[in-house]
Amino acid sequence: MEQAEIQEQIYAYMQKMKGKKKLKEKDVIKKIVADNEELDKDTVKKALREMINVGKLMYSYGGGASSVEIPSEEYLKEKGLI
Amino acid sequence: MAKYQTPMLDELEKGAWPSFVTEIKKAAKNSKMAEDELGQLEKSFQTKRGYWKHGGIVGVLGYGSGVIGRYSSLPEEFPGVAHFHTYRINQPSGFFYTSEALKEICDIWDKYGSGLTNLHGSTGDLVLLGTTTDALEPLFAEYSSRGWDLGGSGSAMRTPSCCIGQARCEWANINAMDICNHFTQHFQDELHRPAFPYKFKIKVSGCACDCVAAIARADLSIIGTWKGDIRIDQAEVKNYADNGMDIQKEIVGMCPTECMTYEGGELKINNEKCSRCMHCISKMTKALRPGEEKGASILVGSKAPIVVGSLISWVLVPFIKAEAPYEELTELTENIIEWWDDNAKPRERLGELIEVKGMRPLLEAIGVAPQPQQVKEPRKDPFFFWSESDFEK
Repeated sequence: MEQAEIQEQIYAYMQKMKGKKKLKEKDVIKKIVADNEELDKDTVKKALREMINVGKLMYSYGGGASSVEIPSEEYLKEKGLI
Repeated sequence: MAKYQTPMLDELEKGAWPSFVTEIKKAAKNSKMAEDELGQLEKSFQTKRGYWKHGGIVGVLGYGSGVIGRYSSLPEEFPGVAHFHTYRINQPSGFFYTSEALKEICDIWDKYGSGLTNLHGSTGDLVLLGTTTDALEPLFAEYSSRGWDLGGSGSAMRTPSCCIGQARCEWANINAMDICNHFTQHFQDELHRPAFPYKFKIKVSGCACDCVAAIARADLSIIGTWKGDIRIDQAEVKNYADNGMDIQKEIVGMCPTECMTYEGGELKINNEKCSRCMHCISKMTKALRPGEEKGASILVGSKAPIVVGSLISWVLVPFIKAEAPYEELTELTENIIEWWDDNAKPRERLGELIEVKGMRPLLEAIGVAPQPQQVKEPRKDPFFFWSESDFEK
């Protein structure tokens, strides 16, 4: 599977879970690997990290624990991405 | 004239010790952030309430660690600290700096932040206190272009820290600084991208004096030790006695395992009973030295009391060779982290997980055999278990 396709799946899952559950990287990776038998953890992790590098996803922090989420418009403006 | 009257904070300037209030006042002459920090802090003392909000989505693009979001809950009253984020810089191993390096750090910090620092935070990082969200990216660009990277925060590998080790200490049984640097480089990804259930701290001490207090704070403590007998110079023992040391009281009487005797001017040690605590060696530096075969003890599971009570470390491996390139040590560490990462609930530290599941599954997962030194409390921690397969035999 192409990386772009993996990233589309990741983004769709993140959108579905937005506001319902704080997701850790591991939760996302587990879900995508479970949905795609041919994928391994490292491939999904690499695709997810690329999304974080370009601001498509971002790390967040609250209640003592870190999570991954879709960035807000405010964040994207602050980083000069829109 | 000062913007705020601070009668309660002024009390903290009295007495013999250096005062953080005095330092904030100095910074406030050139920084509106520091000035409003004084005002908000005085208000906190007056009302006995904190006015900081913590957390959120501040950070540097691509990184999930190193910046801790902090906001004032009274931004209109104290606009200078509306944003007051903490920026952690990964400290050099052993906290060695040149004055030129410190000046460089401070000059950049004066440009983008409050000018207030904390050398060093309890994690070990060089902590810069108080900057704004807008300043984060240019601040990071300036520091990283000069070789200063962010430290760890959040659910990540925290910046490994160590004592000054063999750079200045004759008791260091391992090269604590090199081990610390090795783990810092090896776990760069885990340090900057928080993917763990919670924080994970590695601390390295050259000997059991444990100057970085690894045993009380680190999820993984690497503490220098030795095999074999403590080396004794009886002539120097005599010198200590001649110079007024009460060896019976101060050395023999303080030995936690009662493995020493002092008779007829001769100090004897039953090395089989010695727990290598360093008490006698640190008191009689000229007379006693560690044994010649050096290595490290690996301990796991300590933490400070945030979620539940504090825990002290537990011996996992009594002795391991700790020499570059540290392959065995690194593999062991990775295996411990993998077990914890696979099994821990969110915000559960390694020590808490061991308390829940017991030491046995950890030992099985990482392939370390049970050993007597792992017994934490006599008659409480049996390491002999029957499994289903034993009954089938």
